[in-house]
Amino acid sequence: MTEYIVAFVTGLTTGGLSCLSVQGGLLASSLASQVEQDVRESGDPHKARVAQPILWFLLAKLIAYTLLGFMLGWLGSVLQLNPVTRAILQIAIGIFMVGQALRMLNVHPIFRYFNIEPPKFITRFIRRKAKNGSGVVTPLFMGALTVLIPCGITQVMMASAITTGNAITGAFLMFSFILGTSPIFFLVAYFATRLGEKLEKYFMRFVAVVVLVLGLITVNTGLNLMGSPLALGNLVSAVSSPRVVQAQSPADASPATSLSEISPVCTMQTNGTSNSGCGSATKGGCPMMNFGNRSAAGSVNPTAVAVVEVPTVIPAVEDQAQELVIQVENNGYSPEVTHARAGVPSRLVLVSNNVRSCSLAFVIPSLNVQVLLEPTGRHTIEIPAQAAGTRIPFSCSMGMYTGVIIFDQ
Amino acid sequence: MKITYNIPDMHCGNCAMRLEALEDELQGITSVDASYHKQQMVVDFNPEIITESEIKAAIARKGYSVGA
Repeated sequence: MTEYIVAFVTGLTTGGLSCLSVQGGLLASSLASQVEQDVRESGDPHKARVAQPILWFLLAKLIAYTLLGFMLGWLGSVLQLNPVTRAILQIAIGIFMVGQALRMLNVHPIFRYFNIEPPKFITRFIRRKAKNGSGVVTPLFMGALTVLIPCGITQVMMASAITTGNAITGAFLMFSFILGTSPIFFLVAYFATRLGEKLEKYFMRFVAVVVLVLGLITVNTGLNLMGSPLALGNLVSAVSSPRVVQAQSPADASPATSLSEISPVCTMQTNGTSNSGCGSATKGGCPMMNFGNRSAAGSVNPTAVAVVEVPTVIPAVEDQAQELVIQVENNGYSPEVTHARAGVPSRLVLVSNNVRSCSLAFVIPSLNVQVLLEPTGRHTIEIPAQAAGTRIPFSCSMGMYTGVIIFDQ
Repeated sequence: MKITYNIPDMHCGNCAMRLEALEDELQGITSVDASYHKQQMVVDFNPEIITESEIKAAIARKGYSVGA
């Protein structure tokens, strides 16, 4: 849900202005003949009916981009994105955004190449179609054709639709974004079509700065997703350690309580070589999902397979395991920094209680763990013994919410 | 006859589209190929029908200046 709101707000603010500068002319020219016709019939320029064609234009645009989002999301699901490829894609999108921002700020001519120009025959075709014709068909047609000339911000959003890895999510993402761009499109097109160019000149710098910031955030989320120490959150936590909680030692924890609550236990197959156990994983209620596909209806990612063990007999090694409890919340993970003892296996328990955010999509890049948690429930991940000084960063699948487990002596 | 103009104030792909519309708007222009990346436009025109100064004036009417 959060990503749809972000997409809507992006559309409402930067996307609307940016799209208007690219597609505003197209809308204006498709309206021109309607205005001309109305003025000819009534003799009064104020009686030109422009609201209706603008709405048709925007409706067609909305539908066309939603379909595009669907296809891009589907493409992402076909590509079977694992956390690392998603992270790389995310970083690439971030760099693309920063490049777009620097282009808008006219920092260097090289950045102009971040803007993808449609081929001449397409622009020529669209322009000539826009000039001839009126009524409902032309604005509808023109609106749909805007998919061929996306603005920079739209191009960024299209790339994000691929990373969702889900056709429906991709479609909703593009729908939210284009819906967000619509009000400003309508207002500006309605009041003065020429304003588009003026807005473009005045607000381009503002748009550029916003895109620059968003681009840097996107690169950072990509770094988070990779568990990179260069990510801002990891740099900060390396300096200070907020909300630190020490791991519960096995002696402190009541075995009856902790074990009865951890059922079934999902042991993560971190090497990804086994392809067995998927059926039993589902049957046993282990919510191990394909991460490219963040909806519950996704298929199981072959790179990470869960094996279910019902803990009737606890192996000796598990008796020594320390328990690390992390609360999954709507706005992240608590604690963000957990200290654990080195040299003993850990049992990471993720507790969620009526959570409806992307924090449910939990990733430990270094262990190749990716899991979609239940909105309410407990999920256990077995972590083998780690050497002292090891840091295991974790995050949500988009790299927005982060945390780290630090193994001490 | 083909002439290449530098248009330093093209600031997006749409500027190129706007300038290319000249090929439909002016008599005597065969084609206009504008590039935002290169900040240039190549105009193919018939000098017997339209003059260079008329083309420059049309570019200026669209809000763009012709560079050196």
